[in-house]
Amino acid sequence: MRLVRIVIHIVVLYVFYWAGTWIQDVLQLPVPGSIIGMLLLLAVFVFTAATPKWLQDGSGLLLGNMPLLFLPVTAGLVVHGELFSLLGAGLITAVFISTLLVMGTGSWVTQYLLKRGERYRE
Amino acid sequence: MNEWWTTAAAIAGTLAVYTASKRTYRWFPIPLMLPIVTGTIVIILFLLVSRIPYNVYMNGGQWIESLLGPAVVALACPLYEQRHLLKRYLLPILSGIGTGAVIGIVSGLVFTAATGASREWAAAVLPKSVTTPVAMDITTTLGGDAPLAAMFVMVAGIGGVVVHARVMNVVGVTDPVAKGIGMGSAAHAIGTAKSLENSETEGAVSSVAMTVSAVIVAFLAPLAGNLFL
Repeated sequence: MRLVRIVIHIVVLYVFYWAGTWIQDVLQLPVPGSIIGMLLLLAVFVFTAATPKWLQDGSGLLLGNMPLLFLPVTAGLVVHGELFSLLGAGLITAVFISTLLVMGTGSWVTQYLLKRGERYRE
Repeated sequence: MNEWWTTAAAIAGTLAVYTASKRTYRWFPIPLMLPIVTGTIVIILFLLVSRIPYNVYMNGGQWIESLLGPAVVALACPLYEQRHLLKRYLLPILSGIGTGAVIGIVSGLVFTAATGASREWAAAVLPKSVTTPVAMDITTTLGGDAPLAAMFVMVAGIGGVVVHARVMNVVGVTDPVAKGIGMGSAAHAIGTAKSLENSETEGAVSSVAMTVSAVIVAFLAPLAGNLFL
């Protein structure tokens, strides 16, 4: 019964999400509860015999259709006519330039350290 | 009765639009035809033409949206399955992603300050290099607006895919691991899909980078936002 497995897997993922938001709430953390929940699940994989296979039907379905899940949110842009303004265009340009910088520096640093690592090994 | 009907219609309609836009993307696999782009446009046009208010649509939309939290939790699965990559290249990978995360946040702060944007806008720009659901959560934490965050994430993802090859040439990066780090840290899931087409290693590294970067930015962006916005 694949459908039953999918539902159970999603319920388990939901429990981790709920635990994450609960921890965020109690400890007053600025980190999103979803990320705390993800780290909790990761910790379970690392420290117990549990493997991602146990959740693969549910997790695969959610991760494979992520765009569906945020379509209702992006549709909220309908109330954001102000994006079509000089400020909106400026910010989109800013995001684009920042993306170039992140990509260039991240890759460059990684390759630099990879090469240095190789030299040490020789 | 009426509310029950609109809820069902919104869910069914969103599913239908998503399925159709996914199929369209298979025919025209270019970044501007991604389901999130075409799907968003179709739903917005539909709401505008039919004059259905957004909050009425969200009676159903919120049920779909409620699966985003569990989806972020599920990111632990692919990350754990790629743990050998992290173990093997721990220092280069973490340094590369960390550099990207810091540069992204700092340049986001500087550029939004330069454009004179309000705190609400800046909060939507800050997390733009991480995967959409996490970016939306970070923006909400900072008092910004989730749809705006999603929109800037899309700009970063699509822009990143378009320029990736050229940026790698400019900085002289040829290593597939390093290429994947740049893609995953800057262009998240949209970039990772493209990296998977380039090579298996680049795709796997990009998916690791996307998730690790989301964790780092989830810790740093709220901190930076509360200090500087």
